[in-house]
Amino acid sequence: MKKIMLLTLFWTICISIFAVSQTGLTFREAIESYNNKDYHNALTKFSMIENEGIINADLYYNIGNCYFRINEVGRAILYFKKALKVRSDHKAARRNLEYAFTFTKDKQESENENVIRSFWLKAFDSISINLLAIITLLIFIIIIMLICLMIIHYRNREKTVPIFLTTIFIFLFTAFLIISILKWQEFHKTDEAVLLSTSAIGYSGPSEDFTRVFTIHEGMVLTIERIEGDWSLIKLENGLGGWIISDTYIKIEL
Amino acid sequence: MKKIFFISLIIVSQLLLAQTIEVDSYVDKNKIGISDLLKFTLEISGEDVGNISTPGLPEIKNFENLGSSTSSSSSYSFVNGKMNSKVTKSYKYTLRPLNTGNYLIPPITIKLKQQTFTTDPVHITVIKGSTHPAPPTSPNFSRQSNASVDLSDNLFMITDISKTSAYEGEPLIVEYKLYSRYDIANLAFAGDTNFEGFWKEDIFLPESISFKRETYKGVMYNKMLMRSVALFPTKSGNIKIPSLELNVDVRTQSQSFFDFGTTKKYNIKSEPKTVIIHSIPQNNRPATFSNAVGNFNISSKISQTQMKVGDSFTYTIIINGTGNLKQFDLPTVKAVNNLRFLDPEISTSINNNKISGKKTIKYLIIAQEKGNYTLPSESFSYFDTSSNTYKTLKTKPYNLNVGEGDLTYVASSGAQSIVNKEGSDIGFIITDSLLVSKKVYFNTFRYWFIWVIVLLFIPISVLYSKERSKLAGNIDYTRQKKANRILKKYMKEASKFASNDDQRFYAAAQLGLSSYLADKLKEPRGSSSDDILTELASKKFPVELIEQIKKLFETCDQARFMPGGFSQEKIELDFQHVKETINDIMKCKF
Repeated sequence: MKKIMLLTLFWTICISIFAVSQTGLTFREAIESYNNKDYHNALTKFSMIENEGIINADLYYNIGNCYFRINEVGRAILYFKKALKVRSDHKAARRNLEYAFTFTKDKQESENENVIRSFWLKAFDSISINLLAIITLLIFIIIIMLICLMIIHYRNREKTVPIFLTTIFIFLFTAFLIISILKWQEFHKTDEAVLLSTSAIGYSGPSEDFTRVFTIHEGMVLTIERIEGDWSLIKLENGLGGWIISDTYIKIEL
Repeated sequence: MKKIFFISLIIVSQLLLAQTIEVDSYVDKNKIGISDLLKFTLEISGEDVGNISTPGLPEIKNFENLGSSTSSSSSYSFVNGKMNSKVTKSYKYTLRPLNTGNYLIPPITIKLKQQTFTTDPVHITVIKGSTHPAPPTSPNFSRQSNASVDLSDNLFMITDISKTSAYEGEPLIVEYKLYSRYDIANLAFAGDTNFEGFWKEDIFLPESISFKRETYKGVMYNKMLMRSVALFPTKSGNIKIPSLELNVDVRTQSQSFFDFGTTKKYNIKSEPKTVIIHSIPQNNRPATFSNAVGNFNISSKISQTQMKVGDSFTYTIIINGTGNLKQFDLPTVKAVNNLRFLDPEISTSINNNKISGKKTIKYLIIAQEKGNYTLPSESFSYFDTSSNTYKTLKTKPYNLNVGEGDLTYVASSGAQSIVNKEGSDIGFIITDSLLVSKKVYFNTFRYWFIWVIVLLFIPISVLYSKERSKLAGNIDYTRQKKANRILKKYMKEASKFASNDDQRFYAAAQLGLSSYLADKLKEPRGSSSDDILTELASKKFPVELIEQIKKLFETCDQARFMPGGFSQEKIELDFQHVKETINDIMKCKF
């Protein structure tokens, strides 16, 4: 019985190692193609890795670069956005996204006039969700340790210092917990999308008979509010809202 | 050869100047009535005109010569310590018009000292009736009341423009001249003059009132240049040249001995004029065109063509000519490998007329590597206003020979510059990723399992705390818990004494055993051996063990208190005994 179990375990490990090395090989081939400026080939190979179900910011970043090189700015933006969704602290992806935005017809990413808001967004983006998880856990451990210490020594010790410390850490803990929840929500948000068709017209209702409200172009980042048949109610960053055909965009989903 | 010619020209002209004789003619009025008389004056001035006879006036059509009068005046001036005298002779002819209409007093030719002088013709309009008598032509002042004089004829300003049409950037010179036949006490500009559609450079602005005599349309006036500007058009179309406005104080003549005269204020304006500005043609515009408009020449020079590594030399490009020198940049020199161009020295010098001058760009270049190099030809394009076409000028290329130098390394000199961004692109792909699939810790079981484990510490610590409080509240319980530790301590001591054959072994063994038993039995410390043994019996200890303990106590008592009870041979055996007994006790339950 034990033998069978060990054998199964051995085979599982072997298969997984093989799979990993196969992926690594494809990755290296893709990089070589990219270096030889064969961007289409590189893209095919990177996409193969993506289709294996690997969720990795670097991979998305590389795919975004390939799309950018073959002049598909919309898809490039989609993949840079995906990379940032996986790791909001991915600096290279953020830089490339900003650069790709300069190639879109519509101006995006208006500079935040509010200093506090922009500072908050920067800080928020520079911490990855897993780092937040670890920090929150560490603070939690410290709090529990402090509480245990107080319980054990509650009879014969002065308690002002531990109570003071515990209060501080509980504040910190609450803050990080809130940030974590926000981050988690952002991570699981599925209403953001990128426009991929060359242009799309926004109407005031889900049909072409309604009034034209705006025209947006490839690479525009939008928020989906409602879907009705073939039409989606979207909202732009500047606050404009309108109905566009759902085929024109792709959601930023992992 | 050219130089000699130039110098001799200057000498000749100066000689001529010394003997200059000027001849001028003018009338007191251009417009007269048929019943008025016209005063025509012929003026000859020069150093040596004293002995000239009155020139006869030729017959003038439609005018009757009524006679002439002669006057002369002299003036002296000292120039460079040399006295110059100037004599002016005026011949005044009184003419009576015979008919109305427009007439011309023809040019008068006078021969003086083998030289022929010709005066300008003068237009005269004769109308019916009579006009107001004109003020005298004398530059001094009028003998009549100014009130009765037509202002526009005797005090006016004209705008002189060098061109009536020009190209954008082509300079125009505008002069505002004041003509007056009055005695002017004061002059002031009224308001600002804005030259809209032009880039303006001032050439002349008067600092004091200074008049010069000048004939304008055949009439003698006092002339003063009020303002002179160079204008560079910045847009095309019909552009207005604004008028200049002046406030003039004219001195009136005193009427009697006690009247000291007053001044009268006038406001005069020059006529605004319009110039047509053409835009520079778009077609055939060279790529190197740098907005230069005018007439230019290019030249270049180099300080040396043979040098060693590390040597520096200068390379200068000069553009001189007429045009909008301030409004264009010189071509920048193309970089050459292994030649280090330091920041150039660019200078523009403009002549006083504001429209001509030169621009210089001077490079200091350091040769960094051995070899033969070519400084390429640089081209400069401008719009030529004389031919209305674009012209491209080229400098000649220079061949340089750089030989082996003493320095193998050329230190970077002071002219360091900040690194400039030359382009932008997306970042390169990531090549060393581990391709670890993203796992959000918040969504994993393991993460929350750690939380639960951490949280478990609270009940654990509560239990621990309770245990502790139990210990603290129950002394017997504590004693029981601590009994083993105390026994161990005594036994350690005992074994030490035993190995040294010390008598104190028995004390330690007895004390240890008895306190251990007392603690375990919850008896007070220091209870007698008998009490302990009775208690042990009541706890249903095996009888043999009780006997064993009793015997051990007795042995200890004997060794401690009975004289001669202690023998060194027995000690090892007794220690063995104690150990066995303790082992037996440990196996029992209390």
